[in-house]
Amino acid sequence: MGLYSVSVFERILLRAVIPVCVVSGIIVATGFFFPALVGDVISGEWWLVVSLLFFGSGLIYFALLPTDRTVADEYDPAVTLRVRSLRLLDTVTEFLAQQDRIAFGIPVGIFFAFFCSYLIAPDGTVATIATMEGLITTYFGWVFVGTTILTVAFCLYLLIGPWGSIKLGGPETEPTYTYPVYFTMFFTAGIAAGIVFWGPAEALFHYDSPPPFFAAEPRSEAAITAALAYAIFHWGFTAWSAYVIIGVPIAYFVYRHGAPLRVSSLLVPFLGVENLDSLWSRSVDALAIFATIGGVGTSVALVSEQFLTGINYQWDVGYNSVSLLLFVIGLIIVFVASAQSGVDRGIRRIAAVNVVLFVAFGVLLLTVAPRDFLVASSSAAIGSYIVNFVPMSLQISGQWVAEWTLWNWAWWFSWAPFAGLFLAALSRGRRIRTVVITGFVATSLATVVWFLLLSSTALYFQHGAEVDVLAAIDAHGGSEAVAGFPVFEALPLGELFMFLFLALILAFMTTSADTSTLVVSVLATERDLAPTTGAIVFWGVFQGIVAIAVLATGSAETLQAMAVLAGGPFAIVALVATAGLVRWFHRHERDQPWPFASLWSAIDAATLEKPIDTDAQRNSDSEDEDDK
Amino acid sequence: MATDSTERSDSALKRLFYRHEKVPLVYWDEFSGAKTAVALVGIVAVVTFLTGLSNLSQPEITLDGPLAPFIPDVEAVQFGGVLLSFVLASIVLGLVRSKRLAWYLAVLVVPLTTISPLTTLRPAEIPLLILVLVTVPLLILHRDAFDQRIDLSPLQIAALSSVVGVLLYGTIGSYAIRDQFVELETWADAVYYVLVTIATVGYGDITPTTTGAKWFSLSIIVFGTGAFTAAIGALVVPAIEKRMANALGNMTASELSLLDDHVLVLGYTDVTESLLEAIGDETDVVVVTENEDAASSLADRDINVLTADPATESTLQDAKIEAASGVVVATHDDANTVLTVLATRKAHPDVRIVAAAADRRHADKLEAVGADTVVSPVEIGGRLLGRSILEETDTDTLLGVDDEESNTKTDEDG
Repeated sequence: MGLYSVSVFERILLRAVIPVCVVSGIIVATGFFFPALVGDVISGEWWLVVSLLFFGSGLIYFALLPTDRTVADEYDPAVTLRVRSLRLLDTVTEFLAQQDRIAFGIPVGIFFAFFCSYLIAPDGTVATIATMEGLITTYFGWVFVGTTILTVAFCLYLLIGPWGSIKLGGPETEPTYTYPVYFTMFFTAGIAAGIVFWGPAEALFHYDSPPPFFAAEPRSEAAITAALAYAIFHWGFTAWSAYVIIGVPIAYFVYRHGAPLRVSSLLVPFLGVENLDSLWSRSVDALAIFATIGGVGTSVALVSEQFLTGINYQWDVGYNSVSLLLFVIGLIIVFVASAQSGVDRGIRRIAAVNVVLFVAFGVLLLTVAPRDFLVASSSAAIGSYIVNFVPMSLQISGQWVAEWTLWNWAWWFSWAPFAGLFLAALSRGRRIRTVVITGFVATSLATVVWFLLLSSTALYFQHGAEVDVLAAIDAHGGSEAVAGFPVFEALPLGELFMFLFLALILAFMTTSADTSTLVVSVLATERDLAPTTGAIVFWGVFQGIVAIAVLATGSAETLQAMAVLAGGPFAIVALVATAGLVRWFHRHERDQPWPFASLWSAIDAATLEKPIDTDAQRNSDSEDEDDK
Repeated sequence: MATDSTERSDSALKRLFYRHEKVPLVYWDEFSGAKTAVALVGIVAVVTFLTGLSNLSQPEITLDGPLAPFIPDVEAVQFGGVLLSFVLASIVLGLVRSKRLAWYLAVLVVPLTTISPLTTLRPAEIPLLILVLVTVPLLILHRDAFDQRIDLSPLQIAALSSVVGVLLYGTIGSYAIRDQFVELETWADAVYYVLVTIATVGYGDITPTTTGAKWFSLSIIVFGTGAFTAAIGALVVPAIEKRMANALGNMTASELSLLDDHVLVLGYTDVTESLLEAIGDETDVVVVTENEDAASSLADRDINVLTADPATESTLQDAKIEAASGVVVATHDDANTVLTVLATRKAHPDVRIVAAAADRRHADKLEAVGADTVVSPVEIGGRLLGRSILEETDTDTLLGVDDEESNTKTDEDG
């Protein structure tokens, strides 16, 4: 109900946030307009604190602003007038009663067990997980490779084949979300701050030690093309296809066959809509929750660390575990506030802020970047990407491939359940082709453009020996977090880019974490119940606790590896689901017209010189659809 | 099949992701209204002020902007920025009242604020530049929203023009006889001397030396100070009057002059609140009552009130009865109602009058004196009670009100 009216949580938060936002805003404005006045009074650490407080509280306030649209939506006196359980025990009992036991218990249990074993026997845990990770990426590499090739092929077929015309919902169903918001919310949810950090960094790493497939000299001209091609390969179409392959079947079975909005709806072709309460489907949901929380929780931890590392590099503002902890807590408050305010408010608004910053950054960078180099290297990279797409996709063996490509696919697959489910949730009323165009084509293009822009700029300075970015990275322990700063420093308006860069990191992290919180709370709540505000807050905080535990135990890499391990099973789930969907479509959706079908038939008719009645054909088409 | 499957889909999906209306990325309508334009001008005023002060506090000014070569006097630009913000603040006051003149001034002054950023191009002045780029198009887009003329009373016009006249007379005159003054040499000195004199500050650095100049100075003092005081009185007093009138629950003359096609409610009784609710936002309503408590409570809720005797014709004319679309008469006393109906009929013979009879036996008499329809609230209430007990239906069904309204109604009754 908190999603429609103002929850208690929200009211308390707003009361705290507004003064913080105003006070920090005044200080930031003073510092901006009168640097001489406050420059000496406030040290670098405090500037960081104040500006983070300002940005964070501003985001929260923006997310929580009420709308006049949501309130009158549903007035439910039964809920409003219900006597609230005031004792803590009652609240907890009520909360637990609404949770799905398996989907709730298994992930919480696994995380608890992981941190316990990590505390008791850290070396043993690390070794076990590392072995498992090595096993999966070494011996099961073909699973990822095979799956990614199949998913890309399937996405392409949906795009051009007849099944793309299937509408997700009844003939009367209209999409709730307009196209811009549909794209924005999915794009920002599907990708986290990694796109920001790795934007300038990934190609630099490949430039330094080129992928064996291209066999280029390190730091040579050829390495530039190879590095860029691999960067867009790792972040482009293949990666995004993982989300679409999970999203499309869920959306199809939810909107056409009344399956519940859960990841386990993937299994409808095997279990049927009525049998989704089985242990199998619940385990799939539990696995999805585990992968999501592991993936997002470790991301929150890593991003926080990298954020402060970057600031430390650039402005020499040190940080310790306490400031890191406070940073994570602040991040948690922001994304929990956004998640519980609902899709229409926080999630949509912060996504909009995110995309505005993203586009502004890109456009600004384009105006000052070395354009000639950019165009030349990008066109070479795109050419190489297209030509070598299939061979690159087929690379299985070798340490480099295991460390970069396979690990990357596993990481994307571990995010696929939540991003796919979110894509499905937003896609009601759209055709499958639109979903694929959005989730596969448009998002990939946005990412590819971004990577070409940032990577080319970084490579330009590195290759021209103007700025030794790689040396700076090495000096900071090989952290990709610092790669952006020396590059921006070499550009005009460098400070502006740095601030935008940092704001983008926070925005991208928030837009992913709030969506994942919402999706996890949907999955963990009993079927047919909407998650309460309490449940959303719980799962948001739980993700945050995982992030904090990761930082406290220093187990980021291990847990990340473990979450990525959850991506492995999901690659298989996705494969199975695709097979099921293909079989289902083949049996039940035979009558879908090919795209341009009327064009073809018109050509046929023209060659046969027979008049055709297109109207009658269209009518029969729609009747077919009604029958199904 | 598709339709019934959507019904079966789970509630999580519906509650979290479905809306009845479309969800766009940005609700442009909410951000692009005339109100936003006014707010933006206000923000421009504040940012201009901050930027100006920030500029003044700089130890050194670097001029990197494209306008730098054309600026002869940087100090003028620096101080001008801060001054512009005060001008903008008063323009905002005019914009809030939808004044056309304020709109013209805003379109003129807002672009002027970019002179300083374009001269220095300091990072701290860039936000102002961006802000102006957003504000001006929005202002121009909403030019039709600012259509109120500045209505000055004859006294105000006279006072303002006499101030301008005296200023011109004093400036030109003192410049003409500048050799008869100490230290008065330029036009700027003349303006300075006249303003200092009229404002009764009189620093005394510029003084007349000849008898003629002394007579001239005395004339500025007498007429100038007089005009200055009169102007302040003419401009400020109406504003204060309006405050007082609002506090007492009365409409001002300018508010009254805007009324058109409104409904007059004469008298304040127990039925008035339900009546106002029923009329709702559909038309403008003016309540005329002698009850001052009721009047001030209505005025607090932004309902137009005139505190006067509704049975006198002059009151009705103040309430612009000739432009009214209808009149409801409901006073406590039927005799008073009769008088009010008579007065209304006399002031506007054709207007539709609905009268409430406190005693149902008086209904025919009210009709006889000119009411088009007479309603007896007591009688209707009695009948409803009777039907309600016999037919066992609730009052809303009897009245034919839909559910939503009944909710609010019962709430208020409770």
